[in-house]
Amino acid sequence: MDYAISILVNGIVQGSIYALMALGYSVIVGITGLVTFTHGEVMMMGAFASFYVFELFGSNILIGAIGSFIVCGILGIIIYKVCYERFLDAPRHIALICTIGASMIIKNMAQIVFGPNQKPMFGIFENQLIKIGPVQLSVLQLVILAIVVILALGLSLFFSKSKYGISMRAVSQDKTAASLMGLNVNANALLGNVIGCGLAGIAGMLISVYYQAFQATMGGPLGMKAFSASVLGGLTDSRFAALGGLFLGLIENFGIAVSSASFRDIFAFIFLILILIFKPQGFSKKGGIKL
Amino acid sequence: MKVRVISLVLVLAMLLAACTTTGTTTQPTGNETITFGVLAPLTGTNAEYGKGFQVATQMAADEINAAGGVAGRQIKLIVMDSKGDPKESSDLARQLVENQEVMAIIGDFTSSASMADVPIIDEAKITLLSPTASNPDYAGMSDYAFSVMGRQSDEGPFFSTYILGKYMQAKKVGIIYINSDWGLSSFKAVTDQMKVDGIELVAEANYVAGETDFTSVITKVKAANPDTVLILDQGAVAQVVNQIRTSGWTDVRLATLGPGASQQLIDLTKENSEGLITSTPFFFNEDDAPAMAFKKTFTEKAGFEPTVHPVVAYDALYLLVEAIKKIEGPITREAIAKQLATTEYTGLAGPIKFQPAGDVSRKYVIGQVKDGKWVLAAGYDYSTTP
Repeated sequence: MDYAISILVNGIVQGSIYALMALGYSVIVGITGLVTFTHGEVMMMGAFASFYVFELFGSNILIGAIGSFIVCGILGIIIYKVCYERFLDAPRHIALICTIGASMIIKNMAQIVFGPNQKPMFGIFENQLIKIGPVQLSVLQLVILAIVVILALGLSLFFSKSKYGISMRAVSQDKTAASLMGLNVNANALLGNVIGCGLAGIAGMLISVYYQAFQATMGGPLGMKAFSASVLGGLTDSRFAALGGLFLGLIENFGIAVSSASFRDIFAFIFLILILIFKPQGFSKKGGIKL
Repeated sequence: MKVRVISLVLVLAMLLAACTTTGTTTQPTGNETITFGVLAPLTGTNAEYGKGFQVATQMAADEINAAGGVAGRQIKLIVMDSKGDPKESSDLARQLVENQEVMAIIGDFTSSASMADVPIIDEAKITLLSPTASNPDYAGMSDYAFSVMGRQSDEGPFFSTYILGKYMQAKKVGIIYINSDWGLSSFKAVTDQMKVDGIELVAEANYVAGETDFTSVITKVKAANPDTVLILDQGAVAQVVNQIRTSGWTDVRLATLGPGASQQLIDLTKENSEGLITSTPFFFNEDDAPAMAFKKTFTEKAGFEPTVHPVVAYDALYLLVEAIKKIEGPITREAIAKQLATTEYTGLAGPIKFQPAGDVSRKYVIGQVKDGKWVLAAGYDYSTTP
């Protein structure tokens, strides 16, 4: 019983980080209408950003999150300028190939600048365990869950209540109509990219704090996980993307429990393929970002 | 900054090396340099060891060149990044064998990558001298495949009998291991002997290279309540140790086979690795002047302290040169392989004498982390072969 509960806890915590990754991913894809392959590399940069923020300003996870968000937001502006701005009306594969190129450049630059070695991320949190009934949680796991939930709710409020959020939704649903209504499509798409990349940065920080290690080559598999989770919402629906992330974490952990961790990615990608076969448009009904 | 410039230059050099046209018609024997290829995982989870290969072989080459080279020729190394990936490694091996100037190849780091290279080097009749591949099947795959690290089939039984059995007095052991050629052969070597020694294997869990989340693996092993957990891997040991300790599982003893007495492992785990036990064929001893000199120079050049792995890579190049010195007649790829099989040499990490398959037997000692430093467990210097 204890065993099943700890698997559940592991699955939820890991799933919540996947959810945050998928949230950012779906915002970017929703607003630009184009698939991105830079997401994993942005997370990696988020991990490095938080590492240096912790070194400079002390081990405060909130300051780390803000630092990651800012650095990756700026990276989001660069990626937008390079890969999207000129290609919003061009055939889709041009921007797609451009993001693949950008991800390679970011990864290899990171290896040259930061070195290829794994780096430790320590002492951000005192390792304390909390017992609630039969459930055993570490403070870190609790903090991760809290950060993800707060960000998801914040994002939801932003899209439903704020002026910027509403105009971004308009742009994501129909760019031509939005521009006819006087909305600046480019500015909105840029803002969406900044928010998406910023969230990815925070996800990168949470992953490296949780697993206590990070390195320049960590992005690739993470980007694939974000993509797989977002597929549940047809790539653009944030609510289903978050749910997809949570699912993915649980499926992986229970899959490993009955077989072996060597099969981790098999569970994740069987999930991806099943969704693509039976529900390729995802569970969302309309186009555009929804929250 | 210096490191960045060096790495930039290295990247450019590798690009150049990759671009040079293959199939040149010049006779290798007419050149003033002699070229060896080095395959090493310079990036990825095993980057520490790949960088170690690079620095150690370059140190050996510089020393030999300063002393006049070999057979009047200066040694040139072509170092290539195999990323620890068998596919990548075999692509690079093919590039190296097609370059007629390359006379022998040192590498790769992992058994999986080395084994993937064997068909290529066997066909080209060129020596593949892996400093570290220890899968017992590797060296026997070809007359041109050699390894100097010692076999898993020696280290595994040593680990079970002397470390788990006599030193740790373990009764119930859980094993976490990497699912690779090396990991599977180590697992088999250790568990076969555990059966003989009467040590119970209560849980096993494996994962593939590149894994970062070990919480599920650890949860699985913890459920079986072992008194000792043994980790079989190199690059990911630090993460496994950290995640075991931070999951609140502090009363279990930890042992690891694979990383050797790695300083980086301690740096990556801090107090989490306190008490961690490992086996290693070589330990830096204060009284061993050449080894300490190696350690000093290596640390200056690499920026971190060496494990056994760069030491055997350093020995490997010296061994190769020793074989070439003995060749009578023209130095060809085949002549090197033939001579190497019968060459004996005593390096920093001990004597090297090849068995018929092309690998060696080594002695092992026990290292343990005490107060953030690797120390030798006194009185436990056993050898599996007399």
